[in-house]
Amino acid sequence: MALLCKSRVRGVLRPLLIRAAATLLALRKDARLLKVPPYLSALCIVVGVAWLLVLPLDEYSRRTYVSENALLPGQVHTYFTGSEHNVFRAYRQETAALADKSVEERTQRLSTILGAHNLKVATQRYEYHASGRNISDQNVYAILQGPRADATEAVVLIAAWRNMDGKINYSGVALVLTLARYFKRWSLWSKDIIFLISGDSTSGTQAWVDAYHDSHSPDTIEPLSIKSGALQGAVAVDYPAGPWGHRYDKLHILYDGVNGQLSNLDLFNTAVSIANGQMGIGCTLQRMWNHDDSYHQRLQTMLRGMISQGLGHASGPHSSFIPYHIDAITLQTVGDGWHDEMSLGRTLESLFRSLNNLLEHLHQSFFFYLLLQANRFVSIGTYLPSAMLIAVNFSISAIALWVLSGRPQTPTPNPASTKPPQPDQQAGEKANEKEKEQDKPTFIVAEIAGAKTLIPASSLEITERPLFLPLTFVLATHFLGLLPLYLFNHTPLPYLSYTFTFVALTTTLLPLLTATSLAHFQRPTPQERTLIQCFSLLLLGMFLAALATLNFSLSFLVGLLAAPLSFARASRNKGLSAVVGGLLLLLNPVVVVWAATLYFGQDVVEVLVKAAEGWHVWGLWTQVVVWLVWWPAWFAGSVVVAGGLVS
Amino acid sequence: MALDQQQALLFGVAAAVRLLLFTAFPSLPSLLAGRVEVSTPVTSFKRLQEGLFLYTHNVSPYDGGVFHQAPLLLPLFSLLPNPSYHPFATNVVFTVVDLLSAYALAQVAESGQAAVTRLFTSSRKDLRWSSAAIAAGFLFNPFTVATCVARSTSALTNLCILTAMAKASQGASITFILAISFASYLALHPILLFPPLALLCYDTRTARTKHAPNPWMFAILHTLGLAVASGALLVVSAVLTGSWDFLAATYGVRLLLPDLTPNVGLWWYFFTEMFDSFREFFLGVFWLHVASYMPGLTIRLYRQPLFVATTLTGIFAIFTPYPSIADASLYLSLVPLFRHLFPVMRYTFLASSSILYTSFLGPAFYHLWIYAGSGNANFFYAITLVWSLGLSVIVGDSLYAALRDELDVDRPELRGKEVKRI
Repeated sequence: MALLCKSRVRGVLRPLLIRAAATLLALRKDARLLKVPPYLSALCIVVGVAWLLVLPLDEYSRRTYVSENALLPGQVHTYFTGSEHNVFRAYRQETAALADKSVEERTQRLSTILGAHNLKVATQRYEYHASGRNISDQNVYAILQGPRADATEAVVLIAAWRNMDGKINYSGVALVLTLARYFKRWSLWSKDIIFLISGDSTSGTQAWVDAYHDSHSPDTIEPLSIKSGALQGAVAVDYPAGPWGHRYDKLHILYDGVNGQLSNLDLFNTAVSIANGQMGIGCTLQRMWNHDDSYHQRLQTMLRGMISQGLGHASGPHSSFIPYHIDAITLQTVGDGWHDEMSLGRTLESLFRSLNNLLEHLHQSFFFYLLLQANRFVSIGTYLPSAMLIAVNFSISAIALWVLSGRPQTPTPNPASTKPPQPDQQAGEKANEKEKEQDKPTFIVAEIAGAKTLIPASSLEITERPLFLPLTFVLATHFLGLLPLYLFNHTPLPYLSYTFTFVALTTTLLPLLTATSLAHFQRPTPQERTLIQCFSLLLLGMFLAALATLNFSLSFLVGLLAAPLSFARASRNKGLSAVVGGLLLLLNPVVVVWAATLYFGQDVVEVLVKAAEGWHVWGLWTQVVVWLVWWPAWFAGSVVVAGGLVS
Repeated sequence: MALDQQQALLFGVAAAVRLLLFTAFPSLPSLLAGRVEVSTPVTSFKRLQEGLFLYTHNVSPYDGGVFHQAPLLLPLFSLLPNPSYHPFATNVVFTVVDLLSAYALAQVAESGQAAVTRLFTSSRKDLRWSSAAIAAGFLFNPFTVATCVARSTSALTNLCILTAMAKASQGASITFILAISFASYLALHPILLFPPLALLCYDTRTARTKHAPNPWMFAILHTLGLAVASGALLVVSAVLTGSWDFLAATYGVRLLLPDLTPNVGLWWYFFTEMFDSFREFFLGVFWLHVASYMPGLTIRLYRQPLFVATTLTGIFAIFTPYPSIADASLYLSLVPLFRHLFPVMRYTFLASSSILYTSFLGPAFYHLWIYAGSGNANFFYAITLVWSLGLSVIVGDSLYAALRDELDVDRPELRGKEVKRI
């Protein structure tokens, strides 16, 4: 019985399905279908942006929680009080006395102090060259062998001698020295603890962590003479208060690493939970000093986090550790308040006790997240669709352009139309009669089951796509990006601003020049132009989709800035081409970078110097994305649009 | 076939690109040799170096359990200076291997066997690319270049397969047998190419001579020839290494998959997940699956043996235990031989886009899994699935196109009409 019913249902459904399939197949050839993709692309972009905008709402974000049970944040009593304060003050005076000393003397003195705690001490020299500058300094570090440890795992406590703003980190260094002395007396450490005082905040830690994993260049960076086990976590302190101290208001937690990689959310949560819950110190992030938990503030925090992640720069001493899969954060003291160095010390003590509990590498919690506030976040599953939608918009445009390029060049007439095909020419002279005869659409008579129909010949044609010129052009464009990449990474500092002006001018003029010379030498057909744009957008969509899994923010930002490219088309109307071309000029990556530096009040040269330093020291990839993904796409799109101007 | 100017230029540029990559980026070869997409446990140059070290120190190269490649590679590479210090000679060897492969591919293209065989003439036979264009497609395929720069020994296997195809399409029996036995000796699975290529060889021989050779005699002689050549290679290997241990370390590894290093194929993930009691059964099933395409395709498409061989290389790139992008590059450079099928293929854009996407997403996801630690094995495996899907869409679509092409010739009245595959 059931079988019978089923077959009857199928009997009803089958004709319906066939009819639906036939309708779809008929639609395939419909010219109206090609009008849809631009709207679909626009919809993707709008939804992608709207998606991002709703994330700060309570419904789409979650409260943070510690997933790793072993961490037990804030469950231990901390003993870093009383006489330790006097020790700290003594060390602070010691570090203050080192301010004017040479690097050698400073290293010597710090080594002596750490050695006096019965720790194994070593130093490391390093030297980097970027933009014609020499970055050289020394790191000092000491290893506390955990009484219960077998030297297979270690955690790192860092204080850079100079913080990110170039200020001397007096109290931070003094605190590390004090904690080294204090931790040495405990018998409960089941991991080694490494105390690292790096020469500066980014290169020093990078040199150290590279050498720790034997991936440094031995010519300029000294190898480490003593090592411990696999690094499980790293915490850096940034507390630049001078010899007379400074009471701070909040802890500013930095968590993003080079190339937008983030440390495990559990480490961040542990720090927040200890500072907030156990010590009563407020926590803040992304320079949002006064966060009132409103939608606006949450959105701002998220956007700042995204920009920081998208730039992929090192945001503190912890950043260098993250590419090695070592979860790391920096605790920075900010504001004027009533918390003193001892509460920071106790926070660190509690944090290290938590890390000490770890049975395995931090892996439970999220590696991809956007933080809205110290205790609210959005996880990857919720936010990734927005960047993917932006990336997909390019793929949709590419597919539409591919289909368009396969359409016959002659317009398909409607056989059922009662209007004559070219009404305005009907009144033309008779001399053109013959020509018109050729222009007239040809029809083919088809017969199916006795019914005859007229099919326009053009809809049966198969259009060949010339692929050579478009492919060569798009590939060449991507290789062309290597030139400015090399130029910016290797130009010495004094010439950087000229180089920037030069590149800005060249890239602005290049599309028009290329379009002119193409029109002169190669005469690309409209079909070839369509294919150039198709391949360029296909590559862009692909790169951005791949990038979204590595660095969501960068993919989103580049995608958004390149979004107009999927709507810019070559037009026969010169005025329209000029307007679109002018708009595209504003979206030139070089112009965008310049505008962004103006908006954020930065100096272009300084940004370029940092980028070159990032390239040579931290292994920064942002400029690769700019020059080999974004710029080629912009260039190809602009050439196609400029082609409308010159043809 | 004399090298004309255009071809000389093409080969010169291809060699220059490779040597430039070798010299301008000295760290690139070892970087690529470490990539799982390029080097598999059975083709890796690093493992070859390990084997060479043991061999030159008079230890059995298979003792360490690292080296799984054919023993005859060892005396060949021990003639060259140590690549760790003087890599130039080795680089030149791999460049020359690529050029020879391209030359063989050009010969295949020139024989015209792709569109016109003894028993079948495609209705679109005039639609073809020049041999230089097809050779360029091979030489400038990024996958081929990456394989060459990584100095993966699958480049040698590809050379042997392409030479076997070239010789078969010229009807040169002895060199064909030698080439196919070298290919099977190096990588085992190319032996499945023997029947279609022997058929191709038979076709060309028949077309060339007045009286056709007796098919049975032809089959028996060629099979015997293959057995003798392969046997000789194995005996020489045994004499060279002093024992028959190499069989287990080379073919045993390929057959039984003890090394589960990730690769772009479909096997490793299944076998990491599998309970040991099912292992033998599934090994049998998986191998049977790979091998079963050969008889089916050869019988159904016996009129187009070169197409069968090409499709089989595509099957190898998807379904063998240790595939790499080198296998895909071989298949993707053979497909343009069948330019006449392109108008009938339906999913070229989809397939090439998915291959393009996966070749970028694959390394990204592998990075997330291995280096960043924020992903896991499923990330990479998902991408290898899509990669295999892309390749199998090309395989399936070209098969459809080939059948459709045959149908167009057999039943001209059905041309241009909708057909359904049953």
